[in-house]
Amino acid sequence: MSTQTPVRYPFPWSPPMEIPEALRGIREKSAIQVTLPSGDTATMVTRYVDVRALFADHRLSRNISRRMRPDVARISADNELFADPNINPDPPDHIRVRGLVTRAFTARRIEALRPVAQQICDEQIDAMIAGPQPADLNEAFAYPVPIRVICGLLGVRPEDRDTFRHLVDGFLSVTKVPVEEMQKCREGLWTYLGDMIEAKRANPGDDLVSGLIKVRDDDNNRLSEHELRYWTQGLLIAGYVTTASQIGASTAVLLHHRELVKEIQADWSLVPTAVEELLRTQIMGSSVGTLRYAVDDIPLSDGSVIKKGTSVLLSEESANTDEEMFPAPFKLDIRRENNHHMTFGAGLHYCAGAALARMELQVATRALLERLPDLRLAVPGEQLPRGLGGFTEGFTEIPVEW
Amino acid sequence: MLVKANAETCTVSSLCVYKAPQVFDQDDEGHVVLLNPEPSEDQHAGVRDAVRSCPTRSLSIESED
Repeated sequence: MSTQTPVRYPFPWSPPMEIPEALRGIREKSAIQVTLPSGDTATMVTRYVDVRALFADHRLSRNISRRMRPDVARISADNELFADPNINPDPPDHIRVRGLVTRAFTARRIEALRPVAQQICDEQIDAMIAGPQPADLNEAFAYPVPIRVICGLLGVRPEDRDTFRHLVDGFLSVTKVPVEEMQKCREGLWTYLGDMIEAKRANPGDDLVSGLIKVRDDDNNRLSEHELRYWTQGLLIAGYVTTASQIGASTAVLLHHRELVKEIQADWSLVPTAVEELLRTQIMGSSVGTLRYAVDDIPLSDGSVIKKGTSVLLSEESANTDEEMFPAPFKLDIRRENNHHMTFGAGLHYCAGAALARMELQVATRALLERLPDLRLAVPGEQLPRGLGGFTEGFTEIPVEW
Repeated sequence: MLVKANAETCTVSSLCVYKAPQVFDQDDEGHVVLLNPEPSEDQHAGVRDAVRSCPTRSLSIESED
């Protein structure tokens, strides 16, 4: 690897409606050195061809606990998200656990949830219409919709949603809240989930967590108690905050480009490709969550080699703007074909909730633009504030009128 | 066209079912089920799209004829 001076990562966002400038020109080499919020250095893979291949490469381990690997880079100095020493995120343990979860996310089951998501969107829009203008799209719609969907799927009680959301926001901080607050939220969430699992064990429902508890209690070898709680936590967080952030940010970008809204309103069959394009441009976050550790030397497409013992990031946003894969990658093209973006990863860690997220984004986008045909930003798009220092970096507030 | 699918390596992205529903389905666990290994011409574009998007490269086109 070269001795290039590491650049700070995540890359800066400004201006808010554009794909980060830092993504131009970084694919001349297959990898660059970056400095994470912790101050630790990692090697970031930049080209689509390498990112795609390495997502599926067993020479990159997802086990990034410092108790296992003392020299692994940390995302932030204090947050050990994805680094639980009691969880093995590599095969074969990962495949065993993943299989218990993915059966809830088949196309058939996701499609059965589509009318549920539709009704939730309609109810949130009814409440918007009944309320004052301007409204914050995040609070009125983008956050409530996915949290209601995932809490329904997993079996979280409606009255616990606000508590849950507060705990998750603190938990997901990289540098957003003080360390003590983050720790308190982590412990609070862990306790909350333990209580929830015990309550469901006593009174099982027709939900995913009750299903996992049954698996756990029927056969001790398939799922440990710790794994049960850890993956319930993972599903709740992944199912909520990423989708919420993306619904808000992608709607804001569409509203900023009025002409695109009009095109979609004239032809609703554009919704799925528009949703994919807004996923490609990855406007709600960075790739810090892809941190991996090389357990062997790995050659890259430019002939360079990632050495064993290197901490590696797979840049989804750089892969998604690779000119070799996407013609005019910095242009937002809601009709883009062959849009095989890396936003949900690849390989056996491919986002388990991708089909659910896609369905929610499609339903939410159409519901908003159909029922509120004059929906618009109440402030210029360039002025929307980003929430920095978290795992997702969507807009913190999206004032809208209709 | 002759299509192959490997349920052993399938990671349940469900992409193929959305892109070529007449060719690919899922079992109760979500793993790929090949409905028709020799899809008709009008389904070829969807199959190619599904093959390219499969996250674990579990789908392949064995023959174009």
